[in-house]
Amino acid sequence: MEGSTISKLKVFTAWQDDKEEEWLREMSCRGLHLTLPLFPCVYTFIRGEPHDIAYRLDYIPRMPRDERGNYLQVFRDAGWEHLGEMAGWQYFRKPVQAGEPPEIYTDPESKVRKYLRLLGALAVPFMTPIIIVAVTRTHDRPHLPGFELFSIALILVYLFLTYGLVRIAWRIRQLRRL
Amino acid sequence: MSEHTPIRKYLPLTESTYYILLALAEPRHGYAVMQKVAEISQGSVEVGPGTLYGAFATLEKEGLIEKVREADRRKTYALTAKGEAILQEQVHRLEIMARVGAAWATHRR
Repeated sequence: MEGSTISKLKVFTAWQDDKEEEWLREMSCRGLHLTLPLFPCVYTFIRGEPHDIAYRLDYIPRMPRDERGNYLQVFRDAGWEHLGEMAGWQYFRKPVQAGEPPEIYTDPESKVRKYLRLLGALAVPFMTPIIIVAVTRTHDRPHLPGFELFSIALILVYLFLTYGLVRIAWRIRQLRRL
Repeated sequence: MSEHTPIRKYLPLTESTYYILLALAEPRHGYAVMQKVAEISQGSVEVGPGTLYGAFATLEKEGLIEKVREADRRKTYALTAKGEAILQEQVHRLEIMARVGAAWATHRR
């Protein structure tokens, strides 16, 4: 049914942005085109004609308000449609012509800078548990019933973040090898 | 890096940066630079919007380019004296590289 919307739940981590881009392109090729609102892990699609559309995600966590207009204009001039922003991620799309899906980052070092921004943004939640543990002394920590469980959860989140940082650092290394 | 950084610290320029600086031989805004690069590189180098926006930000911060105008959310940039000097040095180096390479190629036959 044309024009109707459908929502899908899918988890992509920060370092799987390329997989997310591929998946969104697949959806468009099947006639499902990403639409607003953009929400973590919840994707809303509008049904329509199948088109081969490339999706690209940029990561700009802190964009000064007066810069935003200029930033978007460069993309608009180059034929990219800006869908919206979600947690620092900018969603762009452009129809694919002549086989090769277009890129917003055509130079490996510039792409590296995007992933460095991502590393920088993830460094804050990464450092927080370290700081908390470093600053509080053992006998000061409360022996509340849920505390051990909370500590375990915190450690798991921490390990997950570490894994993410390693994956991103690896991607940067791969880009620099080209 | 600042105004007193020696030129050679910026070299070699990446292909994209080299062409972007060349495209700014005349003041241009973002998309015009992208088009000019495709033209002068004879289609061999393409600059995407993400790359271009980042390059502008870095080049402006390093003092190689400066904003001369802003209209309709488009900033027009031009080379600074420093930018020209760096570009000049890069061209000079590439000339040497090309000459040496050509000599090697003819010598092989």
